[in-house]
Amino acid sequence: MVITYNDAARLARAVRSVLRQSLRNVEVIIADDASTDGTEKVARELQRGDPRVRYLRGEVNSGGCGVPRNRGVAAARAPYVMFLDSDDELTRHACKSMLLEIERTGADFVTGQISRLYERTGKTARYYPALFTRRRTVEGIAREPEMFLNSFSTNKLYRAELLRRVPFREDMHYEDHVFSTALYCAARRFAVVPWVVYLWHRASAESESRLSISLCLTEMANVRSRIRAARLSDDILRDSGLDGLGGLVHERQRRFIRQDLRVYLNPLPSRDPAWIEEFVSVIHPYLAELDPVVFETVDPLLRVCCSFILDGRPDELLVAARSLNGPKAPPRAAVREGGRTYWGTVADERREITSLRMAELPYTASRLRHEAVVTGEGAVIRLEITTYDPFGVLDANPGWTAFLRFRNHRVRLEPRPREGEDGYASEATIDLAAIRHGRLGFEGRYDPVVEIVNPDGRVTSDRLLVDPSTASFGMTVLWHEVVVRAEGTAAFLRVLWRRQGVLRQLPRLKRAATRLLRRVSGPEVKLRVYKGLISVLPPRTDLALFESDVGAGYTGNPRYIYEELRRRNAPLKVVWSIAGTGGRLPPDVRPVRRMSWRHIWTMARAGYWVDSHGMPLAYPKPPGTRYLQTWHGQGIKSVGFDAPDLRADFDGPRAAWRAAVERWDALVSPSAEFERVFVPSNGYRGRLLRHGSPRCDVLVHGDREAARRAREELEIPHWSRVLLYAPTYRDRAKGSGQSVRADLASMAEALSGDWTVILRTHPVERFEVPEHLRHFVRHAGSYPEVNDLILLSDALLTDYSSLMCDYAVTGRPMLFLIDDWDEYRRVERGVYHDLPAIAPGPCLTTTEELIEALRDLEGLTASFASRYIAFRRTWCADEKGHASAKVVDSFFPPAHAQAPRPAGVRERAPAGVRQLSRLPLLGRPR
Amino acid sequence: MSGGRTGTGAVVFACMDADTLGGVQRVTHTMAQGLAERGREVHVIGLHRAEKPFRYVERPRYTSHVIHRTPVGRLSRLGRRRERRALGRLLREVGPGFAVLASPSVVTRIGNLLPEWLLPIGQYHGSYEHARGSWHLGSVRGHYGTLEKAVFLSEEDAWLFSEHALLPNTWSIPNPLPAWPSRTAELTARRVLGVGRLEGVKRFDRLISAFAEACGRPAPGEACRDEALVEARREAGEDWELHLIGEGAERGRLMSHAAACKVSDRVVFRGAVPAARMGDEYRGGSVLALSSEHEGLPLVVGEAASYGVPSVAFDVSGGLRSLVLDGRTGVLVPPADVGALATALAGLMASAEERRRLGAAARAHVEAFRPDRVLDRWEALFDQVTR
Repeated sequence: MVITYNDAARLARAVRSVLRQSLRNVEVIIADDASTDGTEKVARELQRGDPRVRYLRGEVNSGGCGVPRNRGVAAARAPYVMFLDSDDELTRHACKSMLLEIERTGADFVTGQISRLYERTGKTARYYPALFTRRRTVEGIAREPEMFLNSFSTNKLYRAELLRRVPFREDMHYEDHVFSTALYCAARRFAVVPWVVYLWHRASAESESRLSISLCLTEMANVRSRIRAARLSDDILRDSGLDGLGGLVHERQRRFIRQDLRVYLNPLPSRDPAWIEEFVSVIHPYLAELDPVVFETVDPLLRVCCSFILDGRPDELLVAARSLNGPKAPPRAAVREGGRTYWGTVADERREITSLRMAELPYTASRLRHEAVVTGEGAVIRLEITTYDPFGVLDANPGWTAFLRFRNHRVRLEPRPREGEDGYASEATIDLAAIRHGRLGFEGRYDPVVEIVNPDGRVTSDRLLVDPSTASFGMTVLWHEVVVRAEGTAAFLRVLWRRQGVLRQLPRLKRAATRLLRRVSGPEVKLRVYKGLISVLPPRTDLALFESDVGAGYTGNPRYIYEELRRRNAPLKVVWSIAGTGGRLPPDVRPVRRMSWRHIWTMARAGYWVDSHGMPLAYPKPPGTRYLQTWHGQGIKSVGFDAPDLRADFDGPRAAWRAAVERWDALVSPSAEFERVFVPSNGYRGRLLRHGSPRCDVLVHGDREAARRAREELEIPHWSRVLLYAPTYRDRAKGSGQSVRADLASMAEALSGDWTVILRTHPVERFEVPEHLRHFVRHAGSYPEVNDLILLSDALLTDYSSLMCDYAVTGRPMLFLIDDWDEYRRVERGVYHDLPAIAPGPCLTTTEELIEALRDLEGLTASFASRYIAFRRTWCADEKGHASAKVVDSFFPPAHAQAPRPAGVRERAPAGVRQLSRLPLLGRPR
Repeated sequence: MSGGRTGTGAVVFACMDADTLGGVQRVTHTMAQGLAERGREVHVIGLHRAEKPFRYVERPRYTSHVIHRTPVGRLSRLGRRRERRALGRLLREVGPGFAVLASPSVVTRIGNLLPEWLLPIGQYHGSYEHARGSWHLGSVRGHYGTLEKAVFLSEEDAWLFSEHALLPNTWSIPNPLPAWPSRTAELTARRVLGVGRLEGVKRFDRLISAFAEACGRPAPGEACRDEALVEARREAGEDWELHLIGEGAERGRLMSHAAACKVSDRVVFRGAVPAARMGDEYRGGSVLALSSEHEGLPLVVGEAASYGVPSVAFDVSGGLRSLVLDGRTGVLVPPADVGALATALAGLMASAEERRRLGAAARAHVEAFRPDRVLDRWEALFDQVTR
């Protein structure tokens, strides 16, 4: 059933999406509400083209959707009905998939996922996906009142007889809200399917944020209609008898606040004051009717907005609405009382925003509110910035300086306290014509920020709020077109650069060059050249290639072996292979980008390879090069051929790994247990260096300076105890964030006054700490040296990470959160040890247990003392603090590991020198 | 013809290589022959030549085609163009009907080369669990939703794909058993069967450990707690043998594992057995044990059941659960739980009566997997597609 009114341009698209359905047996009813444009012609054409199309035309326009829908339902011959608006589309299997579902479940209607399709970008975004995650049958709305959020009439397949019992109201707008409430009351059972059934076409976002005056006026009538619909819906629910203790009505009212009210609050910053005042007066009576419990569970900022409506404060409402979206700016002023934080200048419990934790953030994450007025003349733009510091960050950092940053261009600001008012005022003038973003210009966009630098050199920055109705202005500066504009509904300043003239061709040239480059230097070419190189070039015995954690940086066993070599002034040139950004390296180490030509060359030339995972898999070791495999951990997890990635169906990875292991000349073995488990499961048969782990030496000796540095770097207060939380990854959910299984929010609630958590996720994992937890959790997934974190911490929380064996060297308490132990040991990964039986600390399965354990850490530690000793005996017996020295002694020949001795001492020829008699593969190098 | 119906419309089956020895291929040829015998025009397309071709059907009533002369591998740009041309020529000749694409690779390769009169149906021969652990899930999510139907091996798998890959068009049809024997096993031989390639994924090491434990020879590390139980098992397990039927790279490792478990004398490595003689093997066994890491719809379990042999297996997929009803037609134990597998094995080894009860029920249960029944389900699917 396609309802339409004056939509000739898009009607055909909608109807075709039905005719193309995988369910062939459909009837399309076009219910036209007396269109006056070419809609009728389009509809008649569609009817001629396909006999399944019927056209119903109303004589007089009804002004709503209720009349055409009811008319269509009355005319429908099919036992099942779906609605479609003429500007949207159905996905191809929408009808058949929901038809099969309604037949299977016997439900009264089936509802599926809506997806918004942004026409400007072509991108889609699912609407409230959480409601549709599980495919299920729901026995009445009372079981899942959250489903009130799904109050469209369009993403559903109905039994026709049900629709005839629940007609649409014809005398109002938002009749679908009333209809949905009545529908939910009438349906004994409905089914939910997780796939997308409806494409909601959205025109470009800009037209939404900049509404014309006339539209705004009609919008006020809309607000009234919505409120009327809400009241009617509440009445229907009350009369239905489903609403036991008022709970269901409250749920629906919460939906009103989250969904309907939000529709007007989002674009509120772009309205003029008169509109906002009227809006407040129109919406106030309805909100005042609601029970205060309705507001309790809604998002704090939305609750703040509601409180200003209730208090009749349009000016304050505007300030709060500007924080709802975009940068989610902090308030202009806040009050802290008894550990609680309130929006504004008085501690009103309706405006409590403690749970956002904005007031307790570390300096670099702290929040300031910058409101700017932008004016422009030619290429020169002028900003008048008002900076609000609601949480006293500036006062706590005397000596701070402020800058305005336009990407790599920085201007000093001179903020001064405003007279008689809160906050600081500053001005800046930027000449865009004088900015150079790169030698070949710049194409892209960025959001200018105000940076506040404290005397320690730390930086905190926030974007600039601007009036969303600020006209965007564009200009042409040296080969570029620049647009400065207000972005989004809670608008912030954004600058867009576009190359002009000759520079415009640059991206295309670059793409062509990349394509060409890929053809001449793709992985296969590199491997072939490499094999040629190693067949003719002898390795240099004074050159060593180091790599740690597949290029993660300067850390792990290779780092400590390198440092030992440096201590001895060994005559070795060291090149470090780095993937990505890599972090800091000592000055005498040359970095090389992993898999670049220089890296390939170094691999071919280096007399020594030292790493902790594996050099690129397919690359054979040059004859004569010696490869020290230091490995990166030991523990309970299955490894090598027992690990899931190598025990899968395909033999390729196993063969590749077998060949890779064959390359190792020596393996650092930290313990007897490692030899029992790791060596056979990787099929290694070479030499073992049993001296402990070089990376654990520092854990044996301790390093106060490193701990202090890490505490400072991570901005952990001096009084706070530190819990290092280092979960390992899950093999079947890499990059999903699922390895972080502790409930950080409830930990923060219980422990934030005493503890700070350093979250060290595995490198293959991706996880972002939400802002409301940043006061308690420091994400250190990319902190360059994990040993510093170990040394800083007071306790370790892990699951199955090999870090536990290193950590045991420190003797500090360990806790294990292993709620998925059975899954992990049997299916997910596989293990060699029964962790609950050998763990040197409590094995926990819930966050509550974890919190309890942390509160009584001392008592627990004592009770696990003997287990701890046994654990260390298994894995750390060889950690004596001199592993680096011994490994260097036993792997590197003295000539390469010691400073050159005074002349007169004869040395043997280096072991790596080979005869050059073999025929070169690629012709003689020039 | 039992329950067979004839439908209209041609059916094209497409595989990466149609003639290599493998489960997907065997199912494809069985279905192709069955549908052709029901009067449909059937074609089987292999995109690549099989290195060691295998003849599945003696007298095929369908037409076979091979597109490339090379074995499965990467295609050059020229090869791609050739493929497009050859398929275009071939499919122009085929009347309106259905194209059954056997795997994610086939769907991505030729899904959009099909003419509009051939309605594409995608098959996936693995479990959801297996897809999740590989690139398959992403590929199925990305490409199967636009096909007419996405067919999985069991109801449960179809459900999981609809939830986690958001596929609106899931359907399920099991793979058919190759034949339906008239004579069943006596279940008196003291023999446990393990059937499959000796590869890591089959985890026969776990089966050997469990068998050793069930015979009262627990591995030294996991000394059994209960002496009386060990003694009882030793008694009941006397003379029992574990026959591993299949060949593969793991053989050496498995033999040393059997030695480590002190059951070298009881584990018999039989090597590969031709399909024609597998009937005798099933009839000579009493229990089939399956210890794989993952399985889609392991037909060995179904075949054993058709001979009245009950199975003991790790509960790894919806397909497996559709073949074995735990406690009624066999025993399922938690994945990778070797101790539980041993207990289940010991239980069946100790009681011929229990074996007969489960075996008879198993045979009745897998009737649904008889070729005719499965063909009926394909016909129903074709009806569903054109509904």
